[in-house]
Amino acid sequence: MNRATPRPFSLLAEITHRCPLHCPYCSNPLQLAAHTNELSTDDWKRVLREASELGVLHVGFSGGEPLQRADLVRLVAAARETGLYTNLITSSLGLTRPRLDDLKRAGLDSIQISFQSDEESLADRIAGTSAHAKKLLAAQMVRDAGMPLTINTVLHRANIERLEQIIGLAERLGAERLELANTQYYGWAFKNRALLLPTRSQIETAVPIAGAAKKRLLGKMEVLFVVPDYYSDRPKPCMNGWGQKHLTVNPAGEVLPCPTAHEIKSLRFDNVREKSLAWIWRESESFNRFRGTEWLPEPCHDCEFREVDFGGCRCQAALITDDAAVTDPACQFSPHRTTLTEFVDACQNGKTSVVASELLFRHNAGT
Amino acid sequence: MQLPSADMRPKLSARARLQTDKVTGKPVLLYPEGVLMLNPTGHAIASLCTGEMTFQEIVVKLAERYKISAEQISPQVADYLNRLREKNLLETQP
Repeated sequence: MNRATPRPFSLLAEITHRCPLHCPYCSNPLQLAAHTNELSTDDWKRVLREASELGVLHVGFSGGEPLQRADLVRLVAAARETGLYTNLITSSLGLTRPRLDDLKRAGLDSIQISFQSDEESLADRIAGTSAHAKKLLAAQMVRDAGMPLTINTVLHRANIERLEQIIGLAERLGAERLELANTQYYGWAFKNRALLLPTRSQIETAVPIAGAAKKRLLGKMEVLFVVPDYYSDRPKPCMNGWGQKHLTVNPAGEVLPCPTAHEIKSLRFDNVREKSLAWIWRESESFNRFRGTEWLPEPCHDCEFREVDFGGCRCQAALITDDAAVTDPACQFSPHRTTLTEFVDACQNGKTSVVASELLFRHNAGT
Repeated sequence: MQLPSADMRPKLSARARLQTDKVTGKPVLLYPEGVLMLNPTGHAIASLCTGEMTFQEIVVKLAERYKISAEQISPQVADYLNRLREKNLLETQP
């Protein structure tokens, strides 16, 4: 490519798809990578080095559950050696005090623990396993070790009415950052969206609660809440532009411009087993396909928001319309917006369920 | 904008890390999901937020370095510290 390639800032290292939880909103692909197909420790060390050389500043170790990898401490140490800021994105299941101390010694900068709700019985039903009590202990352990803590709760119809209490839990746990992440409908979550999408009135109640908490906790706890795009006129500025700031490497070594890019069946993703990260970032078809604004379709091409949201989310366009190259259907100017609006309307009187026979709970790949 | 008290000892939060960017050779402040590209003044201020010096001492030191009066530089330092605090990048203890 001729024009200057932007510099990536963050790498999501999905080191395994194995996970002890079964959350029905998981955005991992339905086709999970098998244990036997995971990248080796040396592969990951090379990826981390190459990422740092490319300009990446942040690495998030994620999955699946990253603690399932026995070499996690070595990977964190390798990341820190290259100067990367390291964040562990975890359910916390499998975190013991000795392991936490090892991670801290290896240079881990920050830990993000997911909570399914503030209240045990609901939280465990969503996780599909008994996890909540262990998470409470783990969060305390992280604080005792003097490590920065982020709490992340994925919001959906079954837990969004607990927003106030979830914020209270994060405060009690001493979190410095709280991500109130409305479910993004990809992977398992897309399959379950009719049961997961909050109602309009739930969203209208949640918005001022999140806004007030953000204000009240300024300087103490950073609170993030974004209105889900199904309820918005404007699409998400997906990844702040395709191939502009971010890359994801999945457990099998494929490099994705966005963590859910596997939803775009027409794209082929290059693998770090065959190509360097720099080549994939700069030259690969998948990273260049939607890079910049020249490729934008109508009505984006002449839209005043084209440098704001870059046509929105490619994965959502692919999922809803079967064409990744059209305007994100969440946008008010998309000819497909009615499809999304009709779906949202149909959900308004939907029931709330965390029953396994109704929701498709995530299950792991065989080895 | 709330001014820090003169005897407050600002300290960068444990979640923030100051380092040199490999690509630009310039200082950056890294924190969860974020980065601040620091200009020379920002870098000078952030580097002194170690919990050892008081706000007033930082102001005096920077005034000497940049050869301007403490009165002139004090609001700038206060403004910068408040911005760091709003991003939750300063320890909250006095």
